[in-house]
Amino acid sequence: MIISNIIAIAQRELQGYFASPLAYIVAAVFWFISGLFLVEILIGEQGIIQQIALSERMGMDLGSVDVAAEFLSSFLAILATLSLLIVPILSMGLYAEENKRGTLELLATSPITNWAVASGKLLAVVLLFSFMILPAVIYEVIVFSTADPPMTTAIPFFAHLGLILLVASLLSLGMFISSLTNSTILAAILNFGVILSFWLLELIGNNLGGGAREIIQHISLIESYNNLLRGTVSLSDFILFFSYIFLGLFLTAQSIHSLRLNRQ
Amino acid sequence: MSQQIIEVEHLSKVYGSTVAIKDVHFSLDAGEIVGFLGPNGAGKTTTMRILAGYLPATTGTARIAGYDVHRDSMQVRRRIGYLPETPPLYPEMTVKGFLHFVAKIKGVKASNRRDRVHRAMQRCQLIDRENMVIRKLSKGYRQRVGIASAIVHEPPVIILDEPTVGLDPRQIIEVRNLIRSLAGEHTIILSTHILPEASMICDRVTIINQGRVVTTNTPEDLQAQLKSSAGYELEVAGLTKKVLPLLQKVSGVVQVSENDSLLNSDRHLIKIACAPDSEPGKDIAAIVIEQGLDLYELRRTRPSLEDVFLELTTEEPAIEG
Repeated sequence: MIISNIIAIAQRELQGYFASPLAYIVAAVFWFISGLFLVEILIGEQGIIQQIALSERMGMDLGSVDVAAEFLSSFLAILATLSLLIVPILSMGLYAEENKRGTLELLATSPITNWAVASGKLLAVVLLFSFMILPAVIYEVIVFSTADPPMTTAIPFFAHLGLILLVASLLSLGMFISSLTNSTILAAILNFGVILSFWLLELIGNNLGGGAREIIQHISLIESYNNLLRGTVSLSDFILFFSYIFLGLFLTAQSIHSLRLNRQ
Repeated sequence: MSQQIIEVEHLSKVYGSTVAIKDVHFSLDAGEIVGFLGPNGAGKTTTMRILAGYLPATTGTARIAGYDVHRDSMQVRRRIGYLPETPPLYPEMTVKGFLHFVAKIKGVKASNRRDRVHRAMQRCQLIDRENMVIRKLSKGYRQRVGIASAIVHEPPVIILDEPTVGLDPRQIIEVRNLIRSLAGEHTIILSTHILPEASMICDRVTIINQGRVVTTNTPEDLQAQLKSSAGYELEVAGLTKKVLPLLQKVSGVVQVSENDSLLNSDRHLIKIACAPDSEPGKDIAAIVIEQGLDLYELRRTRPSLEDVFLELTTEEPAIEG
């Protein structure tokens, strides 16, 4: 019952995305920019291949360079940065739009819990994002097919899983922000602020020493993503991602509940 | 009591320092259509939202089919179809797609969904628009889609908030006929600020003003009540038994009743209802004095409903063309 409700909400949400030009525009821009970076990282003037060629010409001994792994970590770092920019756009309408249209009143008077609605919406937007990085995965498959020795599948798998979890965590928080307002623009700006502060936190953490750094590393989503990118798979990073996702869902359900109590 | 499908008792809602509704009470029997009539801002929407479980009441209880709308919210939600004043629609969906979605979240089983959606579209005359995107529908059609979404899961109770507001006269008639056709199978409560609409559609009318229930009556009795409620109130001391029949004979007096509920036990409150356009005040005073009663107060009472009625839309918009 709950599962079918979540699926119903997710389906409707996805339908909504594909009926509006926004999703197509965001996807097109994302694909275009990620394609540019792919070319730049691989064969651009500052690209990996040029760098190695240059070093060899200067007589430096680099030992054996794993070009495939280098490429993967640079490309996914770029993808993550790009993703953080589109998260506010993807999540801004999740609730703000429903608030504006009054459809929240339909959901709130149907036999479906706030949790199911929030989970369905998050599921939809995470699926949409996963769909958006699909072309990037195809580029990578082409690149890795030329790698010798061949790339193991585990490293790219965890790297992409990490990317999706990172984005899902931020989307979950973005959904909460969206539930606070009926202005999509305001929701996007606030969400961008939250993402920016995650970034700053990371930056500050790197420049701090001792306990403070340790704490920031433990709660930093970006740090956990970097761990997965490096191929270090640990349970604690997954727990962190799921904690943020859960937190976002919880806050969303609570805000929908209490907003109704205080509605004028 | 058990056949009363909606029971509302002492319901109040306070927003900050504004009292939206106060001590609202009414009940509906299964199969009835009851109108909630009142001027704008009287608390109709607040009451509807509390019934639908969208807003919690500050105090008081509301029960639908025996379930408390707040405590057993999920049970209540399964049994109601609620249409807010602006129908909540997803403009990018088709009529059929939207109704399927609503049926799904209202808990209609997958095997019944197709039939229910078809039936709802049939009853709301939407079959010829089933594949149209909601954004492209006219206001009247959107309202019908809204009503279809409120009945698609065939709930015993339907709550409609101002279902005809903003429609043109022809659409209003269609929507009214549609609501009437739903009667019997469903218990319907609808709000309106148009008096003829309430008398046309509803079996009973509850009038609400400034957050309070003024009266509940059938449309016919309501009219009579409005006419007969002008009169006088007397506060007297002494033996009233002899006086009452005399007062009854004064020309223009329709009804005399005595009320002992005054705090001071030796004083009595006499209520006199008068025929319209009669002025029996001076005769009443003369009789009271002649019979040796002490008269403390004699005041004219305005019809209690008059204030409310003045604020209501009492005329129908004309149909053009």
